[in-house]
Amino acid sequence: MSLFKRRMLHCLLACFLIFPFMAASVQAGILTFYASGEDLATEGFQAPRLSKDGWTLTFSHIFVTLSDITAYQTDPPYDPNQGGPIPGETLASLPGVHTLDLVMSAQDDNRVLIGAVMDAPAGHYNALSWKMTRTTEGILSGYSMVLTGTAEKNGETVPFQLYSKEERTYRCGEYVGDERKGLLSAQGAADLELTFHLDHIFGRADKPADDPMNTEAPGFAPFADNGKKQMLTLQGLHIGHAGEGHCNVEWH
Amino acid sequence: MPVRDTATSNGTETTFVRTFPALPLMQQLVNLGKSLRLFVLSVGLGLSVPVSLFAHGVLLDYTQSTGITVQARYDTGQSMAGAQITVYAPDDPARPWLTGVGDAEGRFSFVPDPALPGTWSIQARLAGHGAMVHILLSPEQSEHTPRQQGYTAGQRALMTACVLWGCIGTALYFYRRRIS
Repeated sequence: MSLFKRRMLHCLLACFLIFPFMAASVQAGILTFYASGEDLATEGFQAPRLSKDGWTLTFSHIFVTLSDITAYQTDPPYDPNQGGPIPGETLASLPGVHTLDLVMSAQDDNRVLIGAVMDAPAGHYNALSWKMTRTTEGILSGYSMVLTGTAEKNGETVPFQLYSKEERTYRCGEYVGDERKGLLSAQGAADLELTFHLDHIFGRADKPADDPMNTEAPGFAPFADNGKKQMLTLQGLHIGHAGEGHCNVEWH
Repeated sequence: MPVRDTATSNGTETTFVRTFPALPLMQQLVNLGKSLRLFVLSVGLGLSVPVSLFAHGVLLDYTQSTGITVQARYDTGQSMAGAQITVYAPDDPARPWLTGVGDAEGRFSFVPDPALPGTWSIQARLAGHGAMVHILLSPEQSEHTPRQQGYTAGQRALMTACVLWGCIGTALYFYRRRIS
């Protein structure tokens, strides 16, 4: 076989080897993950949206530590009411442990960028899971969620710092909100949001007292202790959402 | 026969009586026939075309079809009254196909387009809480929908060209062998 023919053969072989990778990258896109405590985190609980027991709350920081952030393409769609593992075959995972401040790091739309998967397979990411894990470094070490700020009621202003050690995994179905999310086209971009509903902790004065959220939420009164460091028990409260969609919670 | 008309002007009521000369019997019979034909025509029109019978009357038409009814409620069992409903069709899942508001029981009904088989997604939201349900509409359920049959003109032309080229190529192959 002549040199020219051999080189041609090698070129063809290389093309065949490279083709699957090129095809895969063409069928991929960028999937970005955000976290949000919504406007209740950035603006606080202001009238008429006071805590269920009438406190005005202003947050200086809300730290959350997240890991195992994964988006799934599931068919049939995952039902968080049924619970259990998400049976997605195609998924996009964001590696690492991420400690975020939902107040100070928030953009104008109240979201905080966590990170992006640059080569996520194209398709509809209609399920999402993440773990709330304890930080292992710095002053937040040992805690999965920390809230600090000030509360005011009837002219009395008290600082607060609330700490939670609880670890849990949230498993959510499709994002529910103003627009549909997670629809990733080839070489396109899509995003998903890990949403934290703070009114499930503090309740809402502008909602009926017998609203299930208000009956379950402890409110702020139990924590009004002049700025002392207090432990926050979140078990039984559904803080994690995908937009407005509820998630299944597994406590560890 | 005299005809009595009444008119009111400046608060005064005025009555006019109009009289017509008597018609011959034959002319009266012809007029009666015209009146009967007009009556029959009016009844026929009334049966076939909706007409305005009363001022502010309400006409309610209906079409019988197979639809989907969703009901939104909280996990406590309480109905999500007045929930905002958004329906997404399978052909364009990013854009709402239909939006509406659920009733006091959280119910919302719609008729999906049978020409769009696949997963229909319905979202219900109210005051910061929401959920989504997905309904698979199989192609069998929409098989009565007329679909385009056969091939397009372009496909037929391409197939014809391929067959012709195959014939020509085969002929040339044997012709070449015979020469050699």
